[in-house]
Amino acid sequence: MIKVKNLTKRFTPEKGLFDLNFEVKKGEVFGYIGPNGAGKSTTIRHLMGFMKPDDGSSIINDLDCWAKSAEVQKLIGYLPGEIVFLEGMNGLDFLNLMQKMRKHKMTQKRDELIERFQLDVKTPIRKMSKGMKQKVGIIAAFMHDPEVLILDEPTSGLDPLMQRVFIDLILEEKKKNKTILMSSHSFQEIERTCDSAGIIKDGRLVALEDIYSLRTVQRRIFEVKVKKESDIELIHQSQLQTEIMGEKTAHITVQGNDQEFIQLLSRCEVEHVDTRPQDLEDIFMHYYDRREVAQ
Amino acid sequence: MSWSLYLSMMKSHAKMLGGFIYGAVAYIVLIIWIYPSIADMKGFNDMINALPEGMRKLIGMENGINSLADYIAGEFYGMLFLIILMVYVILTSTRLMARLVDQGSMAYLLATPNSRVKVAATQAAVIITGLALIVAFTTLSGIAASEWLISGYELDVPSFITFNVLTFLIFLVIAGYCFFISSSFNDEKKALGISAGLTLFFYMLNMAGKLSEDTEWLLNFTIFKLYDPIKMINNETNALLTGSMLGVGALLLFGGSLIIFKRRNLPL
Ligand SMILES: Nc1ncnc2c1ncn2[C@@H]1O[C@H](COP(=O)(O)OP(=O)(O)OP(=O)(O)O)[C@@H](O)[C@H]1O
Ligand SMILES: [Mg+2]
Repeated sequence: MIKVKNLTKRFTPEKGLFDLNFEVKKGEVFGYIGPNGAGKSTTIRHLMGFMKPDDGSSIINDLDCWAKSAEVQKLIGYLPGEIVFLEGMNGLDFLNLMQKMRKHKMTQKRDELIERFQLDVKTPIRKMSKGMKQKVGIIAAFMHDPEVLILDEPTSGLDPLMQRVFIDLILEEKKKNKTILMSSHSFQEIERTCDSAGIIKDGRLVALEDIYSLRTVQRRIFEVKVKKESDIELIHQSQLQTEIMGEKTAHITVQGNDQEFIQLLSRCEVEHVDTRPQDLEDIFMHYYDRREVAQ
Repeated sequence: MSWSLYLSMMKSHAKMLGGFIYGAVAYIVLIIWIYPSIADMKGFNDMINALPEGMRKLIGMENGINSLADYIAGEFYGMLFLIILMVYVILTSTRLMARLVDQGSMAYLLATPNSRVKVAATQAAVIITGLALIVAFTTLSGIAASEWLISGYELDVPSFITFNVLTFLIFLVIAGYCFFISSSFNDEKKALGISAGLTLFFYMLNMAGKLSEDTEWLLNFTIFKLYDPIKMINNETNALLTGSMLGVGALLLFGGSLIIFKRRNLPL
């Protein structure tokens, strides 16, 4: 459904997109992960036909995204990364305008979504909080029941409860065989919804795999606090990659060997376990390393 | 053109447009209302004639005030109305395109199945409508005020209307290049600065050109050369020729805006 072929856009020699290739099949949910400034939004701008590639092309449903952008839009629901609405409107005015510009008459799905996200649509947009604007954006992307959804950091600004509502929404659309591309900074978020994911860094795709293989290379670091000093010794001697942080605390890195980790813990008297929040480079060290070697 | 976008834009645009219309209408009515007292004032024309010629040209009174038409053209169309229309056209053209790209809300308009050309054409229609409304309201109030507010002075209505149509076309061309600039830039401030700077530059060339015969050649480089209210209102220009030239010019400028907007990269 979505095809990106040799997509290249050079802003400067190091900045931009460089020879991107990936494909999202119909009914698939694709997660697009990368740190700030990696080029996620730039790729999405090409898919939306806002930018003309220097080289290569992006194609949705066999239509070129640049040359046929207006036609492509018929299939797409889009959530921009930085949401800015027209001035001097309230949420409902805006949603109505979008529907009219799409010549879409049914309001059932729109009202259902408003209900679900508990949005007060009569609020003037300039008085809305970030999360409220995000909700208006999400509703605008989903309300015309599009075949393809392109979502740039969809959960930013949403509270945990609304993030859950959003994830349920994605899973529902997936059941309806919709094709979804969503970008994110966080693997955890993508993990819950996506079938496959691409990792982008500095404008280059460093990994493109299904979510199960990504899970096995994902590194998580646990902070474990035990009750006895002898347990620390036990942890230290295990096969796992460990780092002793204090008398009774250790950091244990787990990467696909969850079973051994649990077995180890079962032999200790554990007081407290916590995961350390990590950035993407920690999680996918494997991929970043491989790229550095390749260079 | 997307009709729903047009209506929504006109709605959010209405307040500002209303302000401009109100300003223009109030001023033309006021100026017509005080005409009889100025026309009756004995020394007025002598006073004007005492000024140096360049100065008289500048304030639009080469021959003093001889008729109501001269007076309206010189006092209103030559000064305040010119400024009102310049400000309106520059501000509005910037708001309709560059501002939406700069802020990012253009992304939403283009994320609907309306092509860039269609969206830009709709925005162009908004500024053209606004300009037409200001000129139309001013024309009507001018005619009404000279009919009913004062007595004993005649305004030649058909030539007043022709003159207003020409005024509209001249500012349509100015709107055209401002819109072109607005369609080409991502930065609202830059678009505003360049449109305003260019228009001011044209205006200054016009002033300099009228100052003396040595500088007259400067007039060839400014659109305001075509805007000579007193000559226009007295039918001393070839309205049909100027009018069609201006019309073609405006068409090319707006057409060019659509093409450049269609082809360029948008950082949305
Ligand atoms: N129009 C542009 N001109 C020049 N450089 C640009 C342009 N747009 C983006 N860039 C640069 O390209 C890089 C990628 O930007 P992009 O917005 O795609 O990042 P991102 O992956 O979406 O990041 P984030 O997670 O912060 O949203 C950045 O370094 C940015 O400065
Ligand atoms: Mg981004």
